[in-house]
Parts: sequence; C-alpha cells; structure tokens
Amino acid sequence: MKTEVGFELNGIRVSAMVEPHDRLLDVVRDRLGNTGTKEGCSEGECGACTVIVDGRTVNSCLYPALEVEGKKVLTVEGLLSARNRLSPIQDAFVEMGGAQCGFCTPGMVMTTVALIERNAAPTDGEIRHALTGNLCRCTGYVQIVESIRRAAEKVREAEKEKGSP
Amino acid sequence: MTSYEYHRPKTLEEALKLKASIAGARWLAGGTDLLVQFNKRSKPLPPAVISLRNIDELCAIDARDGGLRIGSMVSLTDIAAHPAIRDGFSALTESIRLFASEQIRNVCTLGGNLCNASPAADCAPPLLVHDARIELQSQGGTRFVELPNFFRGPGQTAIEAGEVLAAVWLSHPRAGCRSAFMKKGRTQMDVAVASVAVRVEMDGDVCRSARVAAGAVAPLPLRLPEVEAILEGARISNDLVSRARQAASRAVSPITDIRSTETYRRHIVGVFVERALSSLTGGGRVSDAAEVQI
Repeated sequence: MKTEVGFELNGIRVSAMVEPHDRLLDVVRDRLGNTGTKEGCSEGECGACTVIVDGRTVNSCLYPALEVEGKKVLTVEGLLSARNRLSPIQDAFVEMGGAQCGFCTPGMVMTTVALIERNAAPTDGEIRHALTGNLCRCTGYVQIVESIRRAAEKVREAEKEKGSP
Repeated sequence: MTSYEYHRPKTLEEALKLKASIAGARWLAGGTDLLVQFNKRSKPLPPAVISLRNIDELCAIDARDGGLRIGSMVSLTDIAAHPAIRDGFSALTESIRLFASEQIRNVCTLGGNLCNASPAADCAPPLLVHDARIELQSQGGTRFVELPNFFRGPGQTAIEAGEVLAAVWLSHPRAGCRSAFMKKGRTQMDVAVASVAVRVEMDGDVCRSARVAAGAVAPLPLRLPEVEAILEGARISNDLVSRARQAASRAVSPITDIRSTETYRRHIVGVFVERALSSLTGGGRVSDAAEVQI
C-alpha cells in the first residue's frame, strides 16, 4: 500500500507516494528525478548513494523512504548556486582531478560537505578516516584526498570573503 | 512476497501491542543490517516491520543517579558525542570511532548492534568491560539482563518473544578507572578479525579491578576472567603484562575462516591485551595501536 511522504529536498518541499520497502534512494532518483545520487552496492559499503539528512550523511540505499517524513534532505543537486554555478567543493574536485569515471563522486562530495561542516581544516588522516564509507574503483584516492584538502581551503576562503566588509 | 507492512509507532506501548498482534513482525532499528538483508533478498521478507525510530523514550541518553541510561535507538554518532560517555567510557568511544563508516554510524543504533548478536560486534567488548546491563521491556513489564547473559550464540540473544531491548545501562565509572579498545580488520568497513577491550581501576601501580573482553574470537563476545584474575590485586609490571598476554591468547577459542586464522587471532588478542594494559597503566599510545588502516 502506498503512503504519501513529505520532506524538504534541496530546500524545496516535495512529496511522493512510496511503498513500505522503498528506499530514500528510490524516491530521490526515480520519483523525483535527482539522478546525481548513485546506486552502487545497495548494502551500505560503497557510499555512492550518500546524501545528507538533517545535517548528517546517510546511505540512502539503507534509509527507508517513510522515515524521511518531515526531514531535510540534501543531494549533490542541492549544492549548485542559484545561478547554476558549482559549489567551491565541487570546483575543488574539478580543479584537482578528483573524479575519474565519476560514479563515486557525488557520494564523495556529500561526505566532503559534512566533513568540512564540522572540521574546517581536516588533516589528510582525518580526510581518509572520513572517506571510510566511500569507495572509488578507479583511483588510488590520492587526488580525492587532495581535492578535499583544496575544498576545505576554498570554503575557508569563501567564508573569509563573506566575513570581510 | 515483495513487500511488507511498515509501522511507525510513537510509543513503546503501541509498538509492543503491534508486535504481539502480527505474527512474524520484525523490529526495525537503524536498518543498516536488516535492510541489507531485505535489499539482497537473502532471507524471506517478514509480513511487517515495526520501526522504533519514532519512540522518544528509546532515543535519549539520560544521566541518572544509578548511571547512564542509553536508549536502544540512540545512534552511535550521538553516543560517541555525549560528554559523559566521551569522558568516562573511552573503550566505547574508541570502538565507535573505528565502527564501519560515518554514514553507518549516523543511523545505526546501539540496540541494533547488540541484538544482531554478531560475535564480532564492535560495541560488545567495550560494554562487557563496562559491566553494561540490558533493559528489556514487554507488555508484562521490565527486566534487566547482565550483558554476558544476553548473548546466547551467533545471532541469538536472551530477548524473548514480545520483548524489546529498550536501553543499555552503564554505571558511572569510579575514580581511577580507565578503558581502551583495539581492533584489527582488513579495513575499518570490514568485519573485525579480532577486537579487545580492557578496563582497569588503578591505585598507584596496583590494579584494583580489571575487566578484559574480546570479540570475533569465539561464538560470543567474551569476558576473559582468566586474564582478569591475573591482573586484579597485582602490581603492574612487564612480567605481569606478559602473563596477561599469554593467558588472553589461551583463553579465546577462535576459528580459521575467510578473514583470518585461529593462530593469528590468538596472537593478536594477546598483543592487544598487552598494548591496552601498557597504554592504560603507563607507556604507549592507545591511538597508535587502535588505528585500523584504510
């Protein structure tokens, strides 16, 4: 039996009819057309489906759609500015070559958003620890770590600019 | 069957009533294990799941006179961030730091980790050394089970039909108590090859009381009383630590499987006991030994 679930997706109120077994991933991709979020392993290992729910990263493949009622969900699509510009974090991945095939990238980027939110200047060790739940099959993670380090710099610079008169 | 009923009760009373009324219904906690089984269709789907996420009394940590009551539905992230746990229960905090990934820690619950009753459950050894008690509730009332009596075998617990794990109780640590946790896995995301938690209560260089527990080296997460007996009342010395190490290697009963061998598991349990004791009673750094490579 389908039930209506209402939540905020990237700042916009949305609703969808969902089955009890539907996952947040299914709703975001198939019902609401936000295909930036990827399905990799479907068992919480690879992190390709990482989205942010009420400020925290989750594997959307293991998150029952019905539980998102009333919550705020952020996906990679929500990082674009009003003028459709990439966010500083996404820019850093482009600049440092943090994407190869690109499949893991939206998940990597969402993990980075949450990491920088709580730690403005992460060390390489902290970056690697934060990436425990995000697999990349193409690379050796070096450029991803460099991208995240650069992302943190860019976010700090942007904050500084905002702060100065 | 391709789907199931999904219930989201707001009170424990309502949840217990639902569970009693639907044969075969499953409790759903964070879902990081159950939904994997569902996604993979590795087991038949239940007729109904009863989500415990919306029951406030299961989702809070309360500091009381008798100790800390950790609601079974509190996420591991929230447990590790709680000041009383961060300050008094290092082994638990460290086990959570090394637990799977951030995405998993943000939703997975302490109750779920214990109810899975995996011999390798990362939170089990720390809770064993901190003498955790389990609060079970049913329509008939509340009962408490000491954690060593809660685990019955791989995937088996003392929870009876009609009961739910409501909370985990920890006594406030006494002065001089310190604890540490160490584990080895291929990666942090992988199931542990072996894990060890140690808690000591020191009076100068004399160990007043000791708790030692190990995971992934027996059908259940185990206390190691043989090792505790060597430490309690004794003055900590290199010789004593070495005896504790040997006793720990002997006390466990690991198997050889896809992840490791019996020999290696016995060895690493001894090494972890030695390192944990060194770091808790003097030299050494816990963080070095505990680091799992990624």
